[in-house]
Amino acid sequence: MSLTTTPTGPGRAGTAVPPAQPTALGPTGGSGVGSVPGRETVRQRRSGRDAAVTATGALALVGVVATVWLGLWVTPPDRFMGNLVRLLYIHPSIAWVMYVCYGVAFLASLLYLWPRTRSLRFDKLAGASSEVGVVFTGLTLVTGSIWGRPTWGVWWTWDPLLTTTALLFVLYLGYLAVRRIPGEPEVCARRSAIAALVAFVDVPICYFSVLWWRSLHQAPTVADPITGKTYVHGSMAWTLLLSFVTFTLVYVWLVARRYRLFVLAEREGDEGLALAIEERRAESLQGHA
Amino acid sequence: MDVSPVGVPAVHRPVVEAEPGLVAHALSPAGAAARAALARRTRRRLLAVALVLAGALGFLVYKVLTSAIVYFKTTSQAVAERAQLGSSTFQIEGVVVAGTLRHRVGGTLDFSIRGGGATVPVENTGAPPQLFQANVPVVLVGHFVGGSDTFASDQILVKHSNAYIAAHPGRVRGPTGKVVR
Repeated sequence: MSLTTTPTGPGRAGTAVPPAQPTALGPTGGSGVGSVPGRETVRQRRSGRDAAVTATGALALVGVVATVWLGLWVTPPDRFMGNLVRLLYIHPSIAWVMYVCYGVAFLASLLYLWPRTRSLRFDKLAGASSEVGVVFTGLTLVTGSIWGRPTWGVWWTWDPLLTTTALLFVLYLGYLAVRRIPGEPEVCARRSAIAALVAFVDVPICYFSVLWWRSLHQAPTVADPITGKTYVHGSMAWTLLLSFVTFTLVYVWLVARRYRLFVLAEREGDEGLALAIEERRAESLQGHA
Repeated sequence: MDVSPVGVPAVHRPVVEAEPGLVAHALSPAGAAARAALARRTRRRLLAVALVLAGALGFLVYKVLTSAIVYFKTTSQAVAERAQLGSSTFQIEGVVVAGTLRHRVGGTLDFSIRGGGATVPVENTGAPPQLFQANVPVVLVGHFVGGSDTFASDQILVKHSNAYIAAHPGRVRGPTGKVVR
């Protein structure tokens, strides 16, 4: 474990950073490539996690194909909206993922702010999850608009749910901007975590807006908050359920990949320059041998 | 630099010359100036982003408070507030009464909506959405015609419930296991 702990903070511990730096920066130069004890264990753990992420991605892909097939070919048209109902298999599940994204970002930010669980891992998780969240909010708005034009008759209207969803999009864009304000990692993480809590205020407002206020948009399709029931027929319901599972898997995969990118970018920032110089030195020393 | 013939090892390979830009950026005063310029640019960009986002945020909060919280008036509410509403534009919600749809020459569509025990006659101009039909709930954008209880609408929005029922119910079972006809 000591190998993965770098002086930059507690968040670095346990993130399985291959310990290239201690070797390369040793006073004798990079002579022991691959000879550090524990490196294999770290690598195995890393590859095990990679395999899990890849499996999730593959499963998500299969789910997407199955959802498209069931949604476009197998399920029947709706009695009222005909083939327009097929948007049911993407729009609600995308909106669901949006809520999951912000929920996870909220929890991760709370865990970061709570002194006992403070770790930059939670900061990265919150960042990854909200970034995916902004993408899915954009997709929610776009698929909703595409659905709204033929059913309601308009691309957009200032209905409470639509307006608060647009607000979510802007709030979390703001959160992502706050994340980019330069500074010490701990200061940035604290600032971002507070911003995430502020932005999250709109999430319950958005979800309950269709119940609190009069709206053009219908109440949530899956588990109507008033009755707790789902009013969807047979195979349409199963396809809807599959789409929820599928898009959740897509979410997990995206967040895992984005998290990994954060780790790599951080390593690049912290160690990249020193590593580059040391690698050069190692090369030149190998040249002498 | 030394040009090494085959078999003769390179004796001297200076590290600094390999990546002059990299090292200069990290260590030299020129690098510090470049970093300061970058920081200035970052600050300016963040300020621009903050302004745009604050503008969007302000606009959306305004929209939430003005049009989203009371998105429409119900039919009975509009009838009760007829006097105050005058000829101001607002959204009214009701169910299209079956048997009241009349297409007039010139493209105007007449029908009535009901809700909460009240009924309002409507004259609509402009094309209704494709799902518009009798017995569906609609939201209309328009105003009361001066001196009458008729609502002049220029836009029809069709509301949809969160129930999805197959077009051929005989072939599928409903959520309760009962075949819905």
